Amino acid sequence: MAGREKWTITTPASERRVALVVVLVFVVAGSLWILLSDHLLYAVVQDRTLVARLETAKGWAFVASSALLLYAVTRRSAAQLTKAHRTIAAVVESIGDGVLILGSDRTIAYANPASIQMLGVANLERLRGMGAREFSRRFRVSYLDGRLVPPDQFVSQRVFDEAGPIRYSAVLNPPGERETVIACTAAGVRSEIGEPAELVVSVMHDITSAHHLERLRDELLTAAAHALKTPVTVIKSASQVLSARAPSNLRSSTAIIERQCARMGRLVENLLTLSRIRSGTLQLYPVDGVDLGPVVEDVAGEVSRLVPADVHVQLDAHPRVRADHERLVLVLRNAIFAATRSSRPGGPVTVRLGRCGADAEIRVSYQLPSPSVESGDAPHSDTDLDDLGVSRYVTAMVVEAHGGTLTEQAYDDDATVEIRLPAMSEAA
Amino acid sequence: MSDTPADVLVVDDDPDLREIVQMMLAGSGYQVRCAGNGKEAVEAVAKRMPAVVLLDMLMPVMDGWQCARELRTRYGRAVPIVVVTAAEHARARADQVGGVDGVLSKPFDMDDLLRVVARFAQRSSSGHPAE
Repeated sequence: MAGREKWTITTPASERRVALVVVLVFVVAGSLWILLSDHLLYAVVQDRTLVARLETAKGWAFVASSALLLYAVTRRSAAQLTKAHRTIAAVVESIGDGVLILGSDRTIAYANPASIQMLGVANLERLRGMGAREFSRRFRVSYLDGRLVPPDQFVSQRVFDEAGPIRYSAVLNPPGERETVIACTAAGVRSEIGEPAELVVSVMHDITSAHHLERLRDELLTAAAHALKTPVTVIKSASQVLSARAPSNLRSSTAIIERQCARMGRLVENLLTLSRIRSGTLQLYPVDGVDLGPVVEDVAGEVSRLVPADVHVQLDAHPRVRADHERLVLVLRNAIFAATRSSRPGGPVTVRLGRCGADAEIRVSYQLPSPSVESGDAPHSDTDLDDLGVSRYVTAMVVEAHGGTLTEQAYDDDATVEIRLPAMSEAA
Repeated sequence: MSDTPADVLVVDDDPDLREIVQMMLAGSGYQVRCAGNGKEAVEAVAKRMPAVVLLDMLMPVMDGWQCARELRTRYGRAVPIVVVTAAEHARARADQVGGVDGVLSKPFDMDDLLRVVARFAQRSSSGHPAE
């Protein structure tokens, strides 16, 4: 494509090669000029005085032509540099994202028009020379959860000392302007890898609208999940009332309604927790000394009542943990339900509670169904089909929020989900 | 022990939920009154002290939290309040309004509902104050 070579990025190696070629050309051309002109001069002119005068003239001519050549080369290079500078300036000024360039003194050296507008200042001079502390005071930079970002934690400051680029999302609050949510990326310009940056380029991308939409979506999800709980309660309760009075041939129908209500309840609970995780508002209310034994027994019992599965509980120990009871129940319910849905029909599901070092360990084991001969597909979890993997993701995130781990293993026909949570000491 | 059936006040803005809870409790021998919001609940308690108030949280006119606060201010712990809610962590929030006597999360089981109500009905009939 025409003009593509203009955008080829030069590297230090190619710069050295160009300089070497210019010097070599000069040395070869100069040496040939001296050798050939001297040889010609001595062959044609015999008068020593005249030879001396012509040698002097030849020397001056060499200096003059070298000077002209140097002038031409330097001027061409300067013109290219100016052009490159103008091109870069035009590109930076036309970028819709805010661009700040910080000098080695870690203050703002340049701000493009988009950043001037984003920060609500009159012109570049209002920003030039501004350090992180003053920037923090003027624009009250905060994380998305509302905590102020310490000035030394701005990505544009950290990247002076750390390898970049570094990214984060933050909120700017320019005085008298609307708050702006930005995705900020900063990268350092270094002469050598590992050296402190000489310049830092910080790009601020306005994501206010996207963030607002995302928040609305999460709020809608939360509100919808809350609102769904009441109709599920009404249907479930009505079914239980019917079940108590219904003839035996109708009880399987009311049992189906109850199972589906329980399924909807789980979906709602998982969606609600997912929306909390996504919006960064998942709050835990942990209490000390939660005895896992009764919790495991209760949840396993609940699952047994709802699904036709053979769920066994084995309590090898009674570890106590610091946990949010409501979320812990959700984790166990998800794990045990997933096992009942993924296991071989009629196969047992074993929930074993024990200790592993300093951790409480809950192992949910089940037998995998035989692979389908017709499809030959890899086995998948029915739970994923049930809720697109939401419960699996929520379970892992909630366990992680408790400082624990969740792992899944499968050997031959046996699969195990292992949940580990930091256990409290026996003395506690 | 009194032979009078224990009086349960069901407070929820959803008429279907009120009706079905009423059916469950009446079927188990309780006397059930219903209120559609917190204000009606405060008025109902003023007329006669129930054995327990089953209180929804998200309601028009006066929500459950305001109602719980009002009942605590007027009657202290003499009126047992069980929060019936779809909200997360209702127990943690309940502590902020002076505590409630129980929390029943939606969707609940009929057995759980009857167990909770029976606990307070027994206390009421034996003359024990709510905890």
